[in-house]
Amino acid sequence: MARMKFLCDAERCIECNACVTACKNEHEVPWGVNRRRVVVLDDGVPGEKAISVACMHCTDAPCAAVCPVDCFYTTSDGIVLHDKDLCIGCGYCFYACPFGAPQYPQEEAFNARGKMDKCTFCAGGPKEDSSDDEFAMYGRNRIAEEKLPLCAEMCSTKALLAGDGDMVADIYRQRILKRGGRPQTWGWETAYKTA
Amino acid sequence: MRKSETVHRRALLAGAPVVALGLGGCLESADVTVHEPGKYKGSADPLLDESSRDEVLEKRFQLVQVDR
Repeated sequence: MARMKFLCDAERCIECNACVTACKNEHEVPWGVNRRRVVVLDDGVPGEKAISVACMHCTDAPCAAVCPVDCFYTTSDGIVLHDKDLCIGCGYCFYACPFGAPQYPQEEAFNARGKMDKCTFCAGGPKEDSSDDEFAMYGRNRIAEEKLPLCAEMCSTKALLAGDGDMVADIYRQRILKRGGRPQTWGWETAYKTA
Repeated sequence: MRKSETVHRRALLAGAPVVALGLGGCLESADVTVHEPGKYKGSADPLLDESSRDEVLEKRFQLVQVDR
């Protein structure tokens, strides 16, 4: 069974934010919520690196581990989803997530948190596939339509890859073989204090 | 006799709404989702039932995400 994963190739990412725009538009994500965002390291400095970050659909998801109402579930593809009807908006999953993926729309007065919203790998949620209810709560279900996440499909440089983890890893490996793995790519200089 | 009948009637009129309110609680649904740690009790996702899309998604991946 395929295990779905994202990978953002920091060498190719040009910070165009096409992935962010595509996601926000396709799913009509509420104000104040960014399911996907581009993080730039050393912004403005030559050698800056940009990386597109969203829910990484962890195999051992910390958000699911800490949820007090167990509203998370994982599909057979490894996609981590949750049920907004069970969610109480406590914020624990946000604290637990190393990527800051769970977010909360500020729809009510006094900064009250709404229900948690996050990247669904374009797989919707626990409602009837491609129904209006599912779209309203979770956004478009592209996986049910046999498509891949729109952020990766829209990526202008194919920096962002989304699909079976083995296939994504193969592509990335081929790229590294072709261009060489530069030590700056993963912070070698920081780790070994050569800079 | 007349006085006791009046008192009896008044008691019935006063007691009827109280009884009605009390019985109203019996009509509430007792269907409560009891939380069990580690068990997902939300709605079922129809996406989970579909396992034949791997091939299609693989083809889509090759079509869209591999360098030209």
